[in-house]
Amino acid sequence: MNARLLKNLALPFALLAVCVFFALREPAFLGPRNLTQLIVEFSLTGTLALGMFLILLTGQIDLSVGSGVGLIGGLAAVLVFQQGWPAPLALGTAFAAALVLWLLMGALIVGQRIPSFIITLGGLLIFKGLFWLVIQNSTIPVARGDQDNLYSLLTTYYLPPAAGLALAAAVAAGLALLTYLARSARTAHKLPVAATNRALAQWFATAAALLGAAYLFNQFRGVPLPLLILSATAVTVYFLTQHTPFGRYLYAIGGNEEAAVLSGIAVNRVLIGAYVLMGVAVALTGFMTTAYSGSSTTTVGDLMELDAIAACVIGGTALRGGRGTVWGVIFGALIMTALLNGMTLLAVAPEIKFIARGAVLTLAVWMDVRLGKK
Amino acid sequence: MPTLLESRGLTKKFPGVTALRDVAFALRAGEIHALCGENGAGKSTLIKLLAGIHPHGSYEGELRVDDHPVAFHSIRDAEAAGIAVITQEFALIDELSVGENIFLGRAPRRGLRVDWLTLHRRATALLADFGLALTSETPVRELGIGQKQLVEIVRAMDKKSRVLVLDEPTAALTEQEVAVLVGHLRRLRAQGTACIYISHKLDEVFALADRITVLRDGASITTLTTRDTTIPVVIKHMVGREITDLFPRRATSAHGGAGFTPASSTPDGGDKPRPTTEPILSVRDLTVAPSKNAPPFLRDVSFDLHPGEVLGLGGLMGAGRTELLMHLFGAWGHRVSGDVTLRGAPHVTPTPRDSIARGLVLVTEDRKRYGLVLPQSIGFNLSLSSLLQFRRAPARLDLPAEHVRNQHFFDALRVKAPNQQARVGGLSGGNQQKVVLGKALMTGPTVVMLDEPTRGIDVGAKLEVYELINRLTAEGKAVLLVSSELPELMGMSDRILMLAAGCIGGEFTRDQFAQEKLLAAAMGRAPVTA
Repeated sequence: MNARLLKNLALPFALLAVCVFFALREPAFLGPRNLTQLIVEFSLTGTLALGMFLILLTGQIDLSVGSGVGLIGGLAAVLVFQQGWPAPLALGTAFAAALVLWLLMGALIVGQRIPSFIITLGGLLIFKGLFWLVIQNSTIPVARGDQDNLYSLLTTYYLPPAAGLALAAAVAAGLALLTYLARSARTAHKLPVAATNRALAQWFATAAALLGAAYLFNQFRGVPLPLLILSATAVTVYFLTQHTPFGRYLYAIGGNEEAAVLSGIAVNRVLIGAYVLMGVAVALTGFMTTAYSGSSTTTVGDLMELDAIAACVIGGTALRGGRGTVWGVIFGALIMTALLNGMTLLAVAPEIKFIARGAVLTLAVWMDVRLGKK
Repeated sequence: MPTLLESRGLTKKFPGVTALRDVAFALRAGEIHALCGENGAGKSTLIKLLAGIHPHGSYEGELRVDDHPVAFHSIRDAEAAGIAVITQEFALIDELSVGENIFLGRAPRRGLRVDWLTLHRRATALLADFGLALTSETPVRELGIGQKQLVEIVRAMDKKSRVLVLDEPTAALTEQEVAVLVGHLRRLRAQGTACIYISHKLDEVFALADRITVLRDGASITTLTTRDTTIPVVIKHMVGREITDLFPRRATSAHGGAGFTPASSTPDGGDKPRPTTEPILSVRDLTVAPSKNAPPFLRDVSFDLHPGEVLGLGGLMGAGRTELLMHLFGAWGHRVSGDVTLRGAPHVTPTPRDSIARGLVLVTEDRKRYGLVLPQSIGFNLSLSSLLQFRRAPARLDLPAEHVRNQHFFDALRVKAPNQQARVGGLSGGNQQKVVLGKALMTGPTVVMLDEPTRGIDVGAKLEVYELINRLTAEGKAVLLVSSELPELMGMSDRILMLAAGCIGGEFTRDQFAQEKLLAAAMGRAPVTA
């Protein structure tokens, strides 16, 4: 029991340690301005990591997503800035392109039985080349002139203070309703439920955290839109993995693919589905990342695949597949982003940042291997 | 002739099983000595002791070479004493040449370099000595199975081996290859090399061996001189065991376990002839190859399976029992010809998913590899094949309903674990088997194929599996039961089919069950008329 409690608290504790370290070096780290920035960066990494989570659960890997982020974001930018398309149409088209590309990759991996490592390594290079072709090695802004459009607003829109608080309250109310419904369903099936006091206390803490966060964001400009996109993605991925047959099949394939086939699971279809969802995450991240940098340039998306994998692995997702949780991925992405953001704030040299990033990734995989042996 | 290799009072225990008990075995110089016994009689374990794979200290009793006690701590020790084991899994490296394989790990050197010229010259000479038309520089991957075996023998002989141990050497050989092998073994015998020869094919054993030692249930039963005995005598020694009351076919116990479907339970009295109902599964002239362009492995298999019936499927290892089940389920092989009809409709190139949807389930032999997702919970595994039953619009799983259904099976199968959240990987073999069974049964099947359902589980759990089989047939389901244990097969089946080398070697109704006849059919010998 104690060991388990320790394991559950390890991630929040690590995050706390990272935050305390940077806050002591630079108090502005915890200021509303930097926290808002940190949360936007976290939303980018986190959204991509949630897609990667689905792939890793099956025991596969996708190395192409960093290049994909650049390509899809760049494609939308070119359509808006050079072709003069309305932003929603441009985003929709780029989104569809992402779906097609990841459907093709998934079909190739499943149909030709080529290891995902190789196919997506090829994808990394091909997408990078396509990306640079599409933007002609130049800088393409996401909007014309100083006008705002849907694309640029992705990372510059903040909920008005009242709306942020109202949203937090609405989410808290929704959680209360969902908890109540889940409890009654369990009671109806004569299953044990947690004590009422405990459930109430849990809900109260969550509601307080939600309202507190909204208040904190309001100290700067309000709740940033990317956080809402990430939250929607996280809820979707949570629902998919915990409450649908599809999610069960992901865990089953990662845990024992042969047994999954013999249990009557359409393994190929499930795998292709996971890649298509990865494509969705890549498109969302691509739009947000490009919008966040203001324009599409050749470095957008660089090494993001490694941050996404690191976030998953830090959060306890097994590289061999079959193990991992959405909460873990969220914490992993937070830790990864806090590290990068903190180092930037302290003006750490880029050389050292690369080394630190690599060290964290290596450490996380080492822990994964150690855990896998037990 | 002097005794070369001898075992005295050899006893080898594995957790929960005694694989060998008090085995006495003596190999004389220059003889071919056959080891015979059913699957699981202890032949493989004995060989592993002789070869140093189970090291000295892991067993009781004594091994002696040239009348001196020896202690093999590794395969290397056994090789140094002149014992070479050639198994079905060749110890050859496919990508290297014949010569390199012969001198693997002891290649002639010149300084730090391998002396390739000397290596191939010596290998060529050795191959010529053996009369093998092989070039030393040929990659091993281009050789057939028979040639690979001979290369292994050449290597063993060059290492000055005095004892050759051959484990099922002819299982995968053509008749011509067998003749070549037999010729070489006879020649080696004439030169004084002793040979331990393991084969299920008694004709071969009688043609080749000087003496035969029969193992049964881990004990050495007798050693016979081939000249003075006959095949039926050897078979009798191999099976000579009483069928106990362990197999309660039809004696459905009236315990409180819940049924799996709300069916009318009318167990019929065992010896009545089968009512002439429509078969639920019908197989006609089925010929199946491992892959599209390979020679067929199963040939002209035909049988019918009726509701409420247990059809036993017996045969020796490699006879094609597992392959037949896997093919019917849609997980193995390429159908060359033949028809399968399931519940009145053709069952052509199915996937496991199709089979399950049509009420045909398979409980595999290797539950850890094919049956279970070990890191996950009991509940996760139980409902894995049946998740669509709990799907509500649009794609939501009704988790409480799933939990309740899992609990029903958890209780009905009496899985011994704290609760259904316990990890499957931590359960005992018998309880894992119950989870695999539960997973198959939750899909609501009408035909249940069980491949070695009691392998590696304890007696109590076995009994529960037998009772489960009875309950299933009482509910009108049909069971196809594969078992290597003849008493189990005879105890639990209404009818038995014996497979021999991919063909049906004989079909027996309950009043014709006799171990000798079944084993004879499994060895591809015409069943002796009673």
